[in-house]
Formats: sequence, structure tokens, C-alpha cells
Amino acid sequence: MGNKELIPPGLAYLADNITSRHNLLGAGKGAGARWAKGLNLPKEAETIFFAGCGYQYASELESLMSLIRRIDKSAVSTEMVMSVASFQKKLGIDATGILRRVMSRGEEEDAQPLLSAVKVLNALGIKFGYLADDEPCCGGLLHYIGLQKEFAQHTRGVYDQLKSKKVKQVIGIVPSCTYTLRNLMTKSVNGQDLEVKHFCQVVAENISSRELRFPKQVKVTYHDPCQLVRYLGLVEPPRQILKAIKGIELIEADWTRGEWATCCGGGGGFEAVFPELSQILAVNRAKELVETGAEVIVTHCPGCIMQLKTGLKELKANNVEVLDLAQVVTMAMGV
Amino acid sequence: MSVFSDYKNELMDAAHNERIRLALSRAIKSYRANTNDALKKFPHTIKMAEEVREIKSKAIAEMEKLAQQACESIEFNKGKTYIAKTADEALGIIDKLVGTGKLIVKGKSMTGEEIEVREHLEHRGNEVFETDLGEFIIQKLHSRPMHILSPAIHVPKEDVARLFSQITGEKLPPDNIGQLVATARKLLREKYFQADIGMSGANVVAADTGTLFLIENEGNIRLSTGAPPVHIALIGMEKLVPTLTDAYKVAEVTWRYANYTVPSYVSLVSGPSKTGDIEKVTTYGAHGPKELHVIFLDGGRTELAKHPILRQVLFCLRCGGCLYECPVYAVAAGYFGDKYFASCGTVWAATISRKTEKAAALAYTCLTCGRCKVRCPMQIDGPAMCIEVRRLLVEGG
Repeated sequence: MGNKELIPPGLAYLADNITSRHNLLGAGKGAGARWAKGLNLPKEAETIFFAGCGYQYASELESLMSLIRRIDKSAVSTEMVMSVASFQKKLGIDATGILRRVMSRGEEEDAQPLLSAVKVLNALGIKFGYLADDEPCCGGLLHYIGLQKEFAQHTRGVYDQLKSKKVKQVIGIVPSCTYTLRNLMTKSVNGQDLEVKHFCQVVAENISSRELRFPKQVKVTYHDPCQLVRYLGLVEPPRQILKAIKGIELIEADWTRGEWATCCGGGGGFEAVFPELSQILAVNRAKELVETGAEVIVTHCPGCIMQLKTGLKELKANNVEVLDLAQVVTMAMGV
Repeated sequence: MSVFSDYKNELMDAAHNERIRLALSRAIKSYRANTNDALKKFPHTIKMAEEVREIKSKAIAEMEKLAQQACESIEFNKGKTYIAKTADEALGIIDKLVGTGKLIVKGKSMTGEEIEVREHLEHRGNEVFETDLGEFIIQKLHSRPMHILSPAIHVPKEDVARLFSQITGEKLPPDNIGQLVATARKLLREKYFQADIGMSGANVVAADTGTLFLIENEGNIRLSTGAPPVHIALIGMEKLVPTLTDAYKVAEVTWRYANYTVPSYVSLVSGPSKTGDIEKVTTYGAHGPKELHVIFLDGGRTELAKHPILRQVLFCLRCGGCLYECPVYAVAAGYFGDKYFASCGTVWAATISRKTEKAAALAYTCLTCGRCKVRCPMQIDGPAMCIEVRRLLVEGG
């Protein structure tokens, strides 16, 4: 007999958001699509750009995590905080909305990777749409939590939703969502008729004829997100892109690169269960990357960005910047 | 306090312990460098590991048959054999062989840890000496092993010096590691020859010849299994492979991924000591043990072997490589574990030890980052196993 009480409360909270509100943060419908207002992306297209909860709710997640971490270090247990959060939600209070107003730096910054990705795809002449408020949460976290029945049901819904919109190709950007759609969903629904690619693959395939130049001469190191490198197996595309950009000198860690890259400490919902430990791991990884002597850490995952920024802050490495690969490409294309 | 919060507190105490982190960061660095060198020097190991994965995969499916065959082979060699269905059965067999008031010298064995054989024997009025240096330190510290190969990996030299000073009454300086090692040698030396019984595990067993492979560097296993009149080996059934050639391959891959080009010693034990030097009359107990007793422990392994995802855990060669690649292990050491560590420890806690709450806590500690799988010569998918354990615990079935 299974026992759902064994799920750590932080994860139970996120899982509940996915199944009841169809997004990781439990935000209201349409909240995730605000970043794309004014971009005039078609809502129906054969190829769609899948933005994912991680980027769309980046600042909410960051605020929530920062709060959880502070509480985790204090005497109050995280378990209690998570029940407070779920209590608030039951009362209809948008807990993360409050958090956002209190702590967030605003939407502009966390929308940057997405806005950049759209600019890059446009500049490369790729025709694509965006489902906006009809974009479902991929539901991957349900699988990682061990809620396979919920995942099977959810992913069937995602698949049907994509089919009903006549989608044939998906360009994902969050590594975890991309893996979920490409591998877990396809396996679960036994559907072979949807092509899922990651943004960096599309860019790497289409970029060779372009003149790419970073605005300044800069030493860059690359942090491989676990899901991108070990799950999707994308070791070369990000490097191929970075190496094609003039002005960028790519310097990598001796050992912890490619498939040997160290996790940022934000994997599979870990940060919601062990917030303080997650931060220690973020610092460890940031340290490995800073030791390369790079001025910019490029990565390609909203979770990693959040973790590495936290790590750098703890290390007081104010001179090192974290950028998403999509942002770097935009800057190098001058679009 | 719940099991989860106790566990989390332990984990966080370890994570805040600078000495553990220092000891581990040194160990990780040297493990990676040594393994790289060993694999460069013997590049065939990587192909051989694939072969071994095949061997293990087949062997795990027929453990019971192989155990029977190994028993016949060992009996043919005049050893005594036993198949224990459960941990309690294994302890019962050992009790009958050992009795009470005995002096026992013991090689390090994870299967022994699993059924807590040392504690059990001590409780029954026996004196047990762990002879592996790391395990000896752990025993004297009343701690528990924090790594499958290097149990005292989290103990810095200063703590060892303090401990040995207490035991000997001499003031031992922490910087002279040579002197610390010599102290352990001196403390244990005569025990091997006074002991009534020597105990060991085995890294791999060939069913066709009944040969136990014992891999080590210190020489303590040779002494423990060679000097006393009786040798008892307690072995998990997952260690069985069909042939001597298979066993050799398993052994070579094991030590190579355990960061050695070659270990100092590999003992092959197939039966009790014997001689025919006087008139060709076979007589047992020449210089080595007169009796060899081999206990194969099932303890839930044959059941586990039926699970499509979790059976992988039985492929584990116990090289310990995965632990050096786990970011959580790097700060929390064996506190991210139970009898075994990290993802394999999670499966073990959930299925063999059946500690539901501890297993859940461990399963949700896995980052699912997957670097352990990149390291593992058997390509054991740690994250997939942890996710499956989560599912089993949460959804059942």
C-alpha cells in the first residue's frame, strides 16, 4: 500500500499546484503568458515555442525559494511553512503574488531569456507560435515525485491539448520540460507523431552562416544543466554556439564539464525539500565555475540560473554574471 | 521527532561539518585522478565493464541456481555451505558455528554490516576485531561506516591520532600517518593468531569452481582468513557469477573503478587448507583454516531481482565510484544512506531493510542529477531507481 503522506510537504505543495492549477506556482490562468504580450506570436502553428513554468514564473519561484530558505535556516520547520502556503491557497490568497510584491525584482528581468529566445528564433527565420495561456504545465515534476498515476493522466491531457492545437513540432527551452515532452510524455501516451527539440539544437543547426560577435571580449564558462546534458544528451550544441561567437573565450572546468558537470543543487524539486542543503550545493557549484576565471557563467535552465545566482551571492562574487544561453546569442546577433 | 526530521538534522549537521567536507573533497580529487590514470593505463577496462554488465544481468536472474551450484562446488572442495533465506537465518547459522566466548578477527564486509553481524556476535559474548584499518577506526569510535570501501572516509587524521592515543595511552602525533598505521598493526598483530575464527565476505564468487575472490590492499583479509583455524564467509547472493573467468572479469572491473590499477592482494579461496605431502594422504588444516564455512544470504535479493527497475541495484560491484560523483554525498557523506549509500542505499532501505520512512527520506534526497550513472561501470540508473522507490512508497504496488 502506498502512502502519500511520505511525500515531503514542499513537493506535495508543488504537485498540488500542477494538478489543480496546471502550473507549478498555482498562479491564475494567463499569469504565465504575460511576458509575451505585444510580441504578436500566433496562438496556432505547426511549430510552437514551449516556454515552461520555470522561465515564466522565474521570479515567483526565486522569491518563494528565498523565503523557504530563510525559514529553513531558522527554527521554524519547512514542513510548517508549506502547510501555511497550502492553507493560504485554500483561502484563495495568492501567496506567491504577495511574495512577488514584497521581494521580487519585477518581471522584466526574468522574462529576458524567453524574450531573447523569441528574438533569436525570429532572426533565424523559424516560423513558430506560442500557446500563451493555453500552454499546459508539462507535469514532469509529478513523475519525479513518484506520482506516476497523476503524471500519466496529466501528460495525456498535455498531449491531447497539443494535438487539438494541431501542433507537430515543439521547441522547448526549459531542459526538464523538453525532456518530459520528448521522452516521458511520448513514452507514456505511446505517441510518436510529435517532434520535440530543444532551443539550443535549433539554434546550433541554423546558426553556421551567421556573423556572431559578443559586444565585448569576455571569458565565459558554461554550466551544463543536468537535464540538458545527461537526460537530453546535448553536450555539443551549446558549446558549438558559444565557440562560434567572436569575443567569447570559452574556458571550462577541468573535470566538472559536459556529462561530468556538477548539479547546481536544484534538481527534481530538491530545493523545496532541502532548501538549505540546496543552497550549499549551489555555492559549491558556483565555486567550481568561478575557479575557471570566467567573468560570465552561461547556462540554459531557469533552475540553474536561480541556483547559480544564489551561489555567487553567497560567495560574494559580484564580478561574475550569470546569463542564459539565449541571452548570449541575442547579444551576439545584435537583435 | 519524525524519522524525516531526524534524518534531515543529521544530514545538515554533516553538511555544516567542515572536517567532513575537507576529508571528502580530498578523497574525491584523488579518486578521480587515480581512476583516470588506472583507466588510461588499462583502457580495455571500459569494454570489459560492458561485458561484466551482461554477466551480472544474467547471473542476477538465476541467483538461486548459481547458489546451488556454488554450494555443490564448495562442498566438493570439502567446505561447508549454507543458504540463508533471511538475515535472521544467517545469524542463526553463524551462532551455531561460533558459539560464545570466542575471539574473532573480521575483514570488512558490507553484507556483514547489513545484518549487523559484529554487534550480534559481541552481544552473544564474543570479542570481535575489525581488521580493516578504516573499519577498526569506526569500531573504536562507535561510529558507522560512511563509504562502502573507505568506511572512515569522514574521519580526519587528527581524530585518528586522538583515538589511538586514548587506546594505547601513548601520545601520537596526527601528522605521522605512518605511525598511526603502525599502531593499528601492532594492536591487531597477535589477534590474528589468537583468534578462534576469521570472518570475511567476498567480492565475487565463481559458481563452477566455488571460488571466493577477496580483493584488498592492507593484507588484513589474508591474515584473517589464513591464520585462524576456522574461516566463515558471509556473502550476498548477488555476488555469484557462473564461471571463474566471469569472476575474474568482475574482480578486475571492480578494482579498476575502485581507483586501483591493481590491488596489492586478491585471495582466491575455494576450500579449507589441505596437504597431501605425507604419503599422499589428504589432510585438512595444514597452515590455513581446517574449516571453511560459506553462507550465501538471500535476505530479499531473489525477490528484488524480479523488479524490472530496482533489480539493477544487484549489479553493483561496490566500487564506490558513484559516491564520489554525488553532490549530496560530497557534503553529507554516508549520512545520505542507511546500510548502503545514495541511490543504491535508497533501494536497499526500501526493499531489503523495509524501512519505509527512512527510504522515503533517502529517495527524496536524490537530486536525480544522474552523474552517478555516468560513473557507474554497470550503468546503474540511480535517479530512475530513486524515482521508482518514490512511486512504490507513495502509490504502492
